[in-house]
Amino acid sequence: MNGKTATIGRDVGRILEALGGLMGVSIVVPLAWGEWFGAVAFGASALVPLSVGYGLHRRFADADSPSRLHGMVVAATGWVLVGVFGSLPFLLIAWGVHLDLPSTLEATSTLAAFQDPLNGIFESTSGFTGTGLTMTDNEEVLPRSLQWWRTFIEWVGGVGVIVLTTAILARPGSGSLTLYESEARSEKIHPSIVSTVRTIWWIFLLFTFVSILALFLAGMPPWDAINHAMTGLATGGFSITDNSIATYDSALIDAALIPIMLLGSIAFPVHYLILQGDLRNFYKDLQTRWVFIYMSVGSALLWAFLYVGPYDSPGAALRYGAFQFVSAATCTGFQTAVDATNVALGAWPAQAQLLVAFGMFVGGAAGSTAGGIKIIRGLTLIKGIRYHVADIFYPDSAVRRLQINGRRLTETEANREFVEATIIVVLWIAFLIVGTFLLLVILPAEEFSLANVFFEVASAQGNVGLSSGITGPESLPAIGKVAFLGHMWIGRLEIIPILVALRVLFRRGGMYA
Amino acid sequence: MTLRELPIVRTISESGADDRVYDGLLLVGPVVIFIVTILSTILDQSIIAELLALTYIAVFVCYVLYRGLPVSD
Repeated sequence: MNGKTATIGRDVGRILEALGGLMGVSIVVPLAWGEWFGAVAFGASALVPLSVGYGLHRRFADADSPSRLHGMVVAATGWVLVGVFGSLPFLLIAWGVHLDLPSTLEATSTLAAFQDPLNGIFESTSGFTGTGLTMTDNEEVLPRSLQWWRTFIEWVGGVGVIVLTTAILARPGSGSLTLYESEARSEKIHPSIVSTVRTIWWIFLLFTFVSILALFLAGMPPWDAINHAMTGLATGGFSITDNSIATYDSALIDAALIPIMLLGSIAFPVHYLILQGDLRNFYKDLQTRWVFIYMSVGSALLWAFLYVGPYDSPGAALRYGAFQFVSAATCTGFQTAVDATNVALGAWPAQAQLLVAFGMFVGGAAGSTAGGIKIIRGLTLIKGIRYHVADIFYPDSAVRRLQINGRRLTETEANREFVEATIIVVLWIAFLIVGTFLLLVILPAEEFSLANVFFEVASAQGNVGLSSGITGPESLPAIGKVAFLGHMWIGRLEIIPILVALRVLFRRGGMYA
Repeated sequence: MTLRELPIVRTISESGADDRVYDGLLLVGPVVIFIVTILSTILDQSIIAELLALTYIAVFVCYVLYRGLPVSD
């Protein structure tokens, strides 16, 4: 066994151990709800990643620290395996009920969908990546154990499974930093990466408690408040009700969720500074300032599209427009626009759907729980283009600096950051186009428009979860489900680690020299 | 052994913003949510539950604003 495989095996093993721990902790929930079969399923599910993870960890205990290459392969592999092993509770509970094993759980068609392992893996991957697209057709009838598991994996996945692993199985040194950076994070709150991830969890927990109580005050029952606060703050968007947030049809609940989703889309280091009293970061920090500008402008524009479109009153257009834009641009995916209470998103005019899709494409701040290409990349791209165009007007000898978020970059640094942002954005768009083409080919042309299809692919890749009605256990063909798994995966890890991992895999497989 | 030396309390106080009020809110958070759940679902005392939730949020928001007040030398 060579050094590369040993290092990757050891670190993937640690991630699987952490996953087993999450399943073990979750046993408390079915016990509290009297769903003892759920407890058995969680216990049995936990044993699998725990034993595989422990085996790998023990076998390669003496492996070297990961390099940047290893870190990317660990992140890409770890996230696939977490999605696969995370589907076990869905699979075991669905099959347990189907086979009439003694349990108090009700057999429903919603639960039966998880007898298909692909649906379970889809749900698990959607949860961990914080996407929120679902294979359930009525979340309300799911056992509480599975409602919890969907919520819990989104909550953990929002911050990151590697961040969790680093926080629990603390290992000082550069290895932890490498793994941390490979999970699409680079921000540091403290010099030590272990301290940084612990502070991130500290902030996330505190905000979770505040969010739960805020939703309870707004009128949600406690169980609903716990679940929606966790998935809202993690900008995941899984719901425990059939019509997402539209179920409550409450403007107060909609209003309470907007700041929760916004909290999730602001970078953790900014939260840390604000908690320490530096409130100026709300406008001083470039990304945070733009979170508010971009959400306000997008909501206003969507309001205008909806007011001249499907909604009769400016109040209704504002309520649904603002909520849906914030939900999309923070990459949460909660839905209030459904046919049961007003006009479903899929029936909105094409310009409104494309504006929401644009929100999903850009996403929130880097270093937050939100998806998309991230605001800082969008700004780097705009500033970089302006910088390069303006170059023509200066003499060759001019010394120019590009200023981004208070940092004055030299020409080399500016070029590097511009190229990095351009690569991600170009690849992001390329995968969006490929996914849209694929879906157009496999879906019946008379049922879904181009706007519907583009919207759904942008939602999967931006880890958002808003749906124009395409995703479902029956409505989305198996090829589409597999393609969406890929979109969610590349969206969560921001493409590069996956391309690196695939290159390593194909090189080792001898597919190209 | 002082309160800060208890394992959970120590981990929380070492991980956070080095502030006793925030650490306290984090520690009592699960207890408050548990009490709110019991009061509102089992004991049907939703007014008390709402007051408790409101107090928690008010303390958090007011303290964030208080910490943000400019300090005069």
